[in-house]
Amino acid sequence: MSDNGHRRRRVLQAVGAVGTAGLAGCLDVFGGGGDNQTFQPGQIGSGRGGDYVPAGTPMEAMPDLSGTIDVYSGRGQALVGRLFDYLHEQYPDLTINPRYEDSITLVNKIREEGSNSPADVFYSVNAGSLGALAEAGRTATLPDDVLGLAKEEFRDPEGEWTGTSGRARTIPYNTDTFGEGDIPDDIFAFPEASRFDDAMGWAPSYGSFQAFVTAMRVLNGREKTKQWLQGMLDSGVQEYADEFAIAQAVADGEIQAGFANHYYIQRVLDARPDAPLATAFTTNDAGAVFNVAGAAVVDTANDTDMAANFVRHLLSAEAQEYFITQTYEYPVIPEAQPIGDLPPVEELSPPPELDLSQLADYGPTIELLREVGITV
Amino acid sequence: MATNTVEERVGGRSVGLTLVAGAIAAVVLSPLVWLLAGAFEARDSLSLLVADTTVEVFVNSVALAAGVTGASIVIGVPLAFLTVRTDLPAKRLFTVLLAMPLVVPSYIGAFAFVSAFGPRGRLQGILAPLGVESLPSIYGFGGTVLVLTLYTYPYVFITTRAALKTVDTSLIDAARTLQHDGWETFRRVTFPQIRPAIGAGSLLVALYALSDFGTPQIMRYDVFTRVIFSAQKYDLDLAVLLSLQLVVVTLVILAIESRVRGGGVQSDHPGRRASSLRLGRLKVPAVLACLAVPTLALAVPLGILGLWLVNTGRTTSSLAFQPEYVLNSVGLSFAAALVAAVCALPIALVAARQRGLVPAALERSAYVGYAIPGLVIGLALVFFGAHYGGEFYRQGVILLPLLVFAYVVRFLPQAVGSTRTSFEQVSSTLEEAARTLGEPPSRAFRRVTLPLVAPGVLGGAALVFLTTMKELPATLLLRPAGFDTLVTHLWSAEQQGYYGQAAIPALVLLLVSALSLLVMVRLEGYDVE
Repeated sequence: MSDNGHRRRRVLQAVGAVGTAGLAGCLDVFGGGGDNQTFQPGQIGSGRGGDYVPAGTPMEAMPDLSGTIDVYSGRGQALVGRLFDYLHEQYPDLTINPRYEDSITLVNKIREEGSNSPADVFYSVNAGSLGALAEAGRTATLPDDVLGLAKEEFRDPEGEWTGTSGRARTIPYNTDTFGEGDIPDDIFAFPEASRFDDAMGWAPSYGSFQAFVTAMRVLNGREKTKQWLQGMLDSGVQEYADEFAIAQAVADGEIQAGFANHYYIQRVLDARPDAPLATAFTTNDAGAVFNVAGAAVVDTANDTDMAANFVRHLLSAEAQEYFITQTYEYPVIPEAQPIGDLPPVEELSPPPELDLSQLADYGPTIELLREVGITV
Repeated sequence: MATNTVEERVGGRSVGLTLVAGAIAAVVLSPLVWLLAGAFEARDSLSLLVADTTVEVFVNSVALAAGVTGASIVIGVPLAFLTVRTDLPAKRLFTVLLAMPLVVPSYIGAFAFVSAFGPRGRLQGILAPLGVESLPSIYGFGGTVLVLTLYTYPYVFITTRAALKTVDTSLIDAARTLQHDGWETFRRVTFPQIRPAIGAGSLLVALYALSDFGTPQIMRYDVFTRVIFSAQKYDLDLAVLLSLQLVVVTLVILAIESRVRGGGVQSDHPGRRASSLRLGRLKVPAVLACLAVPTLALAVPLGILGLWLVNTGRTTSSLAFQPEYVLNSVGLSFAAALVAAVCALPIALVAARQRGLVPAALERSAYVGYAIPGLVIGLALVFFGAHYGGEFYRQGVILLPLLVFAYVVRFLPQAVGSTRTSFEQVSSTLEEAARTLGEPPSRAFRRVTLPLVAPGVLGGAALVFLTTMKELPATLLLRPAGFDTLVTHLWSAEQQGYYGQAAIPALVLLLVSALSLLVMVRLEGYDVE
């Protein structure tokens, strides 16, 4: 395994370096000022010759899309709007009606709308709200040929939803202060080690952070989680509004490390390639949870086949490349790999016993946060 | 004989009027029925209502409402007095300036204050060369009261001004001839006449403070709305129960206001003009006070938005500004203002002219919707539309009417408050006089009373317009797919960290709101000077 894995990683690092340089030059999505109007697949390879095609199943090999589709999107317009535009360009007969709101608000909305919901597809930022919708019995099972496109670990075992892109929990750290060996691979070591006193940042009001604490609660129990939260508070952890701010603050040296999703680090590095900022991972614990953004067909969809076909397109080579290059996420299809200074997904060590849909249960997490005095 | 006829007509009209007002109140209260039904289903969770955290939230919310209302009266009433009854220079300019914070959504204010006064805030950076190393923390109770007061005191300022302008000044002149000094005159003659207006404005402030979500959320202060917002994500039962508790708190506030209001003094000579009080040596402090409040409330957000605009940072074509956002916002707000003004007339008239339990209950019921968080009303109407709207709901065609309805439910009290105080100051004897001269009642009302109360009605409509422009949660939930307003666009840009692109709709929102405020001042301002 390691032979194959190592070789792949070396190749990927090369691809990643070129890809990132290409991005910085011609895409400039998250840097200052610039704007690319439309997404064109193949740009990732523009630095390495003209024969590059995105890995995976191209849209061409998928059934055509047409008609009108109502997408309840918990993913922001800034991130996925251009992907929808691209789909519309490919299929002029397709009209996408996106509704952008908070994922969990959309789940509540679908539940309130009952059998008269206009939603065809629910597109979510995390597995938790997909699990919540499925638990409410409001999803239609996806066909096997759609589910089969994504790796098994990134989709619902019951086939109610599939992940479309992945995000890893990480420890961004400042390389001027810490070496790679200074970052523990055990999440519970952080409150104990005095080198992290007054040195770390977190964003407790941020959904991904709450999912992380939920994972800790599911894996390690309420008491141990409470102790961890209290320990971090005692060690003087700083509060930030979101995790992009944490990555920025680590790069600025305002704090020395933090808890954040992986792509925020890549976004900072894209705009400031020389920033003293690197990514570390913990091993087999809540600190290394690999969550997915994903999609489900709503049970009230006008045309379930069409809606499932739309989800299929989110797993196409082009869409996966979009997530890799535009949002710096992990692809969920086996053919593709992430860019930037990121290990391939095989080398991450998420807690193996965690089922992502367990993360739907974050009510008790909010209570726990309030209990230790964190207002979220 | 003739007298009998008049009385019969009056009696018949009053019953009809009460019925119309009752019907409007019933429709406005209908979302509450959904809330009660939800609470009934959630009765298993009732124990949550006495949990420690819930009690803390209750105490925090009451403290916030009391703090903001008190501070708004302390700021709003003296400033209103200065701009109406004294020889303050540039009165019209100050009137506009002092009302202007109303156009700033409090969540933009909160965001700007955090940005400016935060640990490494902009203001600290600017003041650093002057030796200012740190600023007091803006988060928590103090900051929330500060921000909410700065953006809600204009409710007291505007209603008090309106009342001061129609105060019967012959009484003031009489008091002066009786050798009362200025303060004594204010306390014994002016204050009783403007007390209902101060009460109406304070009520709006208290209800706004209770129902606002954005400010406590940004300022990290746990009140009902903030906890309801968290709760609706994972436990709709708890959210419904807390919402109901919030409605109960609102009812208590309505009861308190009702006691404080007492009977306002009516005048047979509304709007007679008196000579202005001379400020003398107090002129400079007065001008400074009139400058300080709007400077703090306006300069901070304008400065921060300006910085966002200049340091555009990242942008994306998906969030490019579209002129239709302005049209959508203005169209919705205009519709809401029109419907609210029309619905407010019968309720305000009944409340002002009739005594007893029924009129009081009618008027109070109009206020209840204001206490139901926009988020909860939004969910209630989604439920209603989805269940009874059939294909119209799926196609999205009834969403905009539902949205206007949500605004009217939320903001009707603004129109009712302003219209009622106008009715109260116009003695019904004027209209009765017209009727004894042979005018039919409806015509007498149209020709005598309506012109006199028009400024109040328009003022109320303008308030509804302004508030609707700023409303966020219900708009988010009920707008049809692809229909964006200034606020929803600003919200999504800001949420996704595209501050430069959030600044543009925010500034346009402020501009459109400011223009509508100018129109409002012109409408009522024929005797500002």
